[in-house]
Amino acid sequence: MSDVLLEARGIVRLYPGNIALKGVDFCIYRDKVNVLIGENGAGKSTLMRILSGVERADEGTILVESKPVQIRSPREATALGIAIMHQELSVVPNLDVTENIFAGRELTKSGLLIDKSNEDRQSQRALERLQQHLDVDRHVSQYSLGTRQMVELARTIAHGSRILILDEPTSALSTAEAASLFRVVEELKASGVSIVYISHRLHELLHLGDHFTVLRSGRVVGEAPRAQVTREWIVERMSGRTEELTSMRAAVPDDAETVLEVRNLTLAPSVGDEGAQAPVHDVNLSLRCGEILGIYGLLGAGRTELLEALAGLRKLEDGRIQVRGKRVHSESVSGAARAGLVLVPEDRQRDGLIPDLSIRENIALVSSSGPVYSRQKELERVRSLVRDLQIRANDLELPVVALSGGNQQKVLLARCLMRDPVVLMLDEPTRGVDVGAKAEIYGILKDLASRGLSILFTSSEIEETRLLADRVLVMCQGRVRVELQKEELTDEALFAAASPDVACAQRIEGVPA
Amino acid sequence: MAATQILTQRDRLASSSARVALLLLRGRALIVLVLLVLAFSALTPLFFTANNLAILSKHVALSAILAIGMTFTILTEGIDLSVGSVAGLSGIVAGYVITNGHRGTVAAIFAAIAVALVVGLLNGFLIVRAGVAPFIATLGTLYMARGAALLSSSGRTFPNLASKSKAFAVIGQGSLLHVPIPVCLMLLLYAVAAFIASRTPLGRHIYAVGGNERAARLAGIEVSRVKVITYLASAFCAALVGIIIASQLDAAHPATGESFELNAIAAVVLGGTSLSGGRGSITGSLLGAFVIGVLADGLVMLGISEFWQIAIKGAVIVAAVAIDQFQVRLQARLLPFLLRSNPEAGA
Repeated sequence: MSDVLLEARGIVRLYPGNIALKGVDFCIYRDKVNVLIGENGAGKSTLMRILSGVERADEGTILVESKPVQIRSPREATALGIAIMHQELSVVPNLDVTENIFAGRELTKSGLLIDKSNEDRQSQRALERLQQHLDVDRHVSQYSLGTRQMVELARTIAHGSRILILDEPTSALSTAEAASLFRVVEELKASGVSIVYISHRLHELLHLGDHFTVLRSGRVVGEAPRAQVTREWIVERMSGRTEELTSMRAAVPDDAETVLEVRNLTLAPSVGDEGAQAPVHDVNLSLRCGEILGIYGLLGAGRTELLEALAGLRKLEDGRIQVRGKRVHSESVSGAARAGLVLVPEDRQRDGLIPDLSIRENIALVSSSGPVYSRQKELERVRSLVRDLQIRANDLELPVVALSGGNQQKVLLARCLMRDPVVLMLDEPTRGVDVGAKAEIYGILKDLASRGLSILFTSSEIEETRLLADRVLVMCQGRVRVELQKEELTDEALFAAASPDVACAQRIEGVPA
Repeated sequence: MAATQILTQRDRLASSSARVALLLLRGRALIVLVLLVLAFSALTPLFFTANNLAILSKHVALSAILAIGMTFTILTEGIDLSVGSVAGLSGIVAGYVITNGHRGTVAAIFAAIAVALVVGLLNGFLIVRAGVAPFIATLGTLYMARGAALLSSSGRTFPNLASKSKAFAVIGQGSLLHVPIPVCLMLLLYAVAAFIASRTPLGRHIYAVGGNERAARLAGIEVSRVKVITYLASAFCAALVGIIIASQLDAAHPATGESFELNAIAAVVLGGTSLSGGRGSITGSLLGAFVIGVLADGLVMLGISEFWQIAIKGAVIVAAVAIDQFQVRLQARLLPFLLRSNPEAGA
């Protein structure tokens, strides 16, 4: 039996105006975690779509166990035992767990009636393999994002997949949820499932991966087993340049003016249409001119809620917000913005961009006051921001969706900067942005800070928090637990402080950063 | 690599022909309108005469004016089904004031507009505060406004309005430099609306709310205010239409404006505005209204049966939406080309 379960040879995929894959050779090794890395647009997802039958290659052959196969549809891929879990979850929230697991291939009695009890038994078994103890009759909408992902994983297991493709599975998960996903991946591997793992998070890959393949602009530029792989090896091949992700920055002088002062900020837990919001208790913080303050915490720690309260999106139950010594009373976004507090939201597509509007209109969305705006003045302002933030677009009238993730994020940054903020707030500043653009955004933020803008950001990525912040507040269960200065910032310190209890801290310890 | 060369050649061809196709698609309402006018002019000498065109545009003006407010509501991902009823109610209010009051034309017009705005405000309130879906909210006010019109007139007509107010008759029947006043009003309103849509923050906010409401709210746009304004605008347009009809007919009838909302929606859709909000234009709706008007008028001139006219109108609307979807897909496919034309982009 050969080590290679699936081999793709010379895969070429043409898109209008673009060659997505230029003759890629890719092997999936048996019982291994096969890591695929590359910047956005390198061709990772295209390759996976070809292997899972969503798209077809223009050239090239695919061999499974050394025999050539045709994968012309997702159904044929499933028949070969290939399952893919997409970046976006594809569970149906208003069906129950079993119904989701068997959606599309229901078990039937005499081909007519659904055999629910048999289905329930099998889903239970699949979930047990994942160490998930769920009520299979409950609607998926009642479970958290991480659990929904487990349901999707259970779906692939229940159908006996040999190859499981995970496309950025942790992008929406908290550290604890991700840790339990890693355990599941290890177990699946041990039980004879070969895994293809795609992620931007290098520490995850280094922890999980057995065999590494790096793609750049549609070509394989590196391939090696784990033993030969280091962080530098990956980054160098991915971006084609060795780059120190962070530049040092002069410390903020102690006598710098305090621009933001938050005292005893408390938010009641609220149940909105998108599920319950975490409460925030008694948070105090202050931010000096030109300082970058990070807020680190797990999912549900209240980080996002805190920023939303400062941005005027939430009603304070108690507490006081002061900007430059003046109390901010406003409970509206425009009021907070007038006081100098603006927020770049976490979910760009859902909360940030207006897809039908052009790049220019997205940047200038709310900049002008008064009933009529001056096109000339607006255009000058937008152009100078596009230059400053290095947004790569010659034609500002193109729809904003034409841009890559990193450039879209910069568009939202520009929109906030149009309002001349005192404090720029960012919720997950580089979510879904490739490594190259990440470094660029860090550079831009640091540059803005040294020009006197104060920045407050939250992140669930330890590395990002460490690289970007001058000082970090660690939140846990709605409270600020620890304040860490720049020199105290280590991965271990951040992890430990963010975990709700000792047991949890120990569980996560297995994940090196 | 051979694949690269083949690709670039194939690309260039595909790209340029797709661009031309896209350009034609974007201007399709205008192209269709011109073709219709040419065709009818060729087929019957009665069509392209000053007299017929004046009558035609006077007709079109009614649904075109309704289509302005309708475009705004649809751009925010809403809809206003109540416009026909509101037009009827406004006409009745104007008729009532002129018949029973002693206050003149201006008071009648103001009263008609005020009552319409109350309905518009109610629409806005139901949608923004009570959270009723726009389709349902305005369906409700459609019946409420019609009921109010019937109740306040006891189902009767207010006749002979011109005998009580000469000025009132001018609105529907007069003309300015040989252009009928309703047509003048239509052009004026379109100029104002197009300016609002493309050159004011309010206009941009309307597109933003329809494109991505959550993002608009988070960016600090007062979404509720924007929506209420669109329903007020729609009710205002409906009031003008009600007044114009009452003036044209020299009588206010409580059943005026029945099913007018459908013509207005058809015009908006033909003009390329998407029912899912965020995409479309004011001028498109004007062209859409004229396409419908010219088609109806031309078919009458050719002596085609009314039954056929109805069926043809339906087919045209469905075709318009299908073509619109085609354009959206083509545009999405063209995006890589557009980006490639500036090599720095898309990194």
